[in-house]
Amino acid sequence: MKMINPDDLSKAIKELLTEKKIDLFIGWEKGSLPLSATPLFITSEDEAERAVFDITCGNNLSIYFTKDRKQFADKKVGIAVKGCDARSVVLNTLEKQIDRANVVMVGVPCHGVLDKKKVLAKTDGREVLELIDNGDTVTLIGKGYELSIDRSEILSSSCLACIYPDAQECDIFIGDARAEVPNENRLKEIKEFEALSTEERWANTCAEYEKCIRCYACRNVCPSCYCNVCFVDQNDPGWIGNTCEFTDSMIFHVIRNLHVAGRCVECGACERACPMDINLLLLNRKVAMEVKDRFGDIAGLDINGKPAMVDFKEDEKQDFIMG
Amino acid sequence: MNMVRLDKQNLDNFIRELSAEYSVYAPGNTGGKTEFIPVESGDEIDFSRTVTDMSPKGIFFPPAEVLFEYDKDGVRAAQTSHRPIAVFGMRSCDARSLVMLDRVFGSAIQMPDDEKFQDPYWKEKYDSSLIFGFACNEPLSTCFCNWFSGGPYNRDGMDVSVVDAGDVYLMEPVSDKGIEIISKLSCLTDASEEDKALLEKMASDAESMMTAPLDVEGLGERLTALFDESIWDEISAKCVNCGACTFSCPTCHCFDMQDEGKGEKGKRVRIWDSCMLPIFTMEASGHNPRALSRDRVRQRVMHKYSYYPENYGEILCTGCGRCVMVCPVNLDIREVLKKFIAYNEQGK
Repeated sequence: MKMINPDDLSKAIKELLTEKKIDLFIGWEKGSLPLSATPLFITSEDEAERAVFDITCGNNLSIYFTKDRKQFADKKVGIAVKGCDARSVVLNTLEKQIDRANVVMVGVPCHGVLDKKKVLAKTDGREVLELIDNGDTVTLIGKGYELSIDRSEILSSSCLACIYPDAQECDIFIGDARAEVPNENRLKEIKEFEALSTEERWANTCAEYEKCIRCYACRNVCPSCYCNVCFVDQNDPGWIGNTCEFTDSMIFHVIRNLHVAGRCVECGACERACPMDINLLLLNRKVAMEVKDRFGDIAGLDINGKPAMVDFKEDEKQDFIMG
Repeated sequence: MNMVRLDKQNLDNFIRELSAEYSVYAPGNTGGKTEFIPVESGDEIDFSRTVTDMSPKGIFFPPAEVLFEYDKDGVRAAQTSHRPIAVFGMRSCDARSLVMLDRVFGSAIQMPDDEKFQDPYWKEKYDSSLIFGFACNEPLSTCFCNWFSGGPYNRDGMDVSVVDAGDVYLMEPVSDKGIEIISKLSCLTDASEEDKALLEKMASDAESMMTAPLDVEGLGERLTALFDESIWDEISAKCVNCGACTFSCPTCHCFDMQDEGKGEKGKRVRIWDSCMLPIFTMEASGHNPRALSRDRVRQRVMHKYSYYPENYGEILCTGCGRCVMVCPVNLDIREVLKKFIAYNEQGK
């Protein structure tokens, strides 16, 4: 497993800044907690030294382009991207939220990011005080214990099903970018879900959405969720109830699920952000699979393409309309 | 009254005995997450996490609470259960949070009667409640209760203090209500002098595990002075303005009221709200005075560390660390406060 040398990343960022190719670089730095890196906004060479990329860098940083109504609209911005994050930048470009000419995408070689709940399951809920990313294995250290575990055991479900770990669209890549990577587990989770009876699927889905506290962390970390006013943030008319009753939460999640159909890049940021550990990605990935099947489109893969929902091809499947 | 002991193997009997008079809540595991749930036996309790994922505020201030129901014939008060509530296993930080919330909802502070606002929905539940606190023997790295005059063995807001001492729980009444319940329960026995010495040692061990506190003296005034400074842009840059911090927080208490009606009948529901969300301050005209992320982050910080202390004399944060743990972008409030204090010291 070829891991990134953080010095190479810092060097690339410094060059972009000194050559005035960018005003600002969005990357990650070591966070205050061992399991979480934190977004870093770099405007100086000193700050560039702090840039890292490892298993804790779960945030999809392209959310910051659409935050506060396109806050960087007049700036040249560099951004560190995993394979999925790069697809978000492409998708937001195709949806006219980003001017690609003003963005310098710096690809980083990704071997997956961690899911905190899987880590805590490994430590039986004991607090992790230090994490060392060795590549194939990860060392977890806490009070009175030290564990070495396979990387794959704590990866986010999105990463376990990933076929584009590296940016397919970028300006600079730190190392050698991989093209599509075969993954026999690509559809495993979805196929298992599909194999369940209707009653079982309903029961599983209810059990997940019942946990929702409506904090909207899933929506707010999602680069595809950038409506200026989200339907849940309206009260005249109030489209849905705002309680944590199952029916209200279910409607929120199903509408979000359909709204990101053909737009979800399967980065899994929603699932990792959820404070209640809801399995949010499964339905999004199921819809992404349907979109691929019906329209041949993978969201954010082709900078010259058209997103499935704004495109029409004569030969695309229309059986859902024709009955 | 003196300290008493409860053998752990008697916990189940203790909970059952308490349940005869009270609706008992304790930390439980729901779908992998820990939160306070109604329990009727000791087996349902899960003490595996030092701090429960969700705070206990929802017991007294539910995420969605029906205030009244209405139809064409009139308005009716919501159906309530009149059984008093007992909470077993509430950490020091959480017990203190109830005292803070009570100043807002129950008007525990001294005010002239005509200015006193009392929330009947809160008071009905909180005033008759019994809080069995739970000292922390192993504080987490995210715990910072000692920044705000709290501590792992602090007893504010408790009726009975409970300490896990191996095979037994050592209990000491803190309030009159605590003295009364201890004298009533049958499965408790008197503690020995050794127990008392052990408790003192455990308390000092726990205190010593805490990291050095930040000096927050004068923090509110500093924040007020820095209200218009650009540091807020820097602080809020990474915030995505979700409500994970506010909803997991034991002291955040902002709410919205909504009418849920259909046909000729409906109900008015009080729902947790969050200053992180844009609709929180959206005005009918369409203008939003807190349109930007910075404005909303500033509000949350100011409310906790400036406005509330100005009104009630104490910071509205117990240092439980939940917001630190749940933040999806690791915007750590401890780092934020450190930055503000450092910023001011530079004389900027």
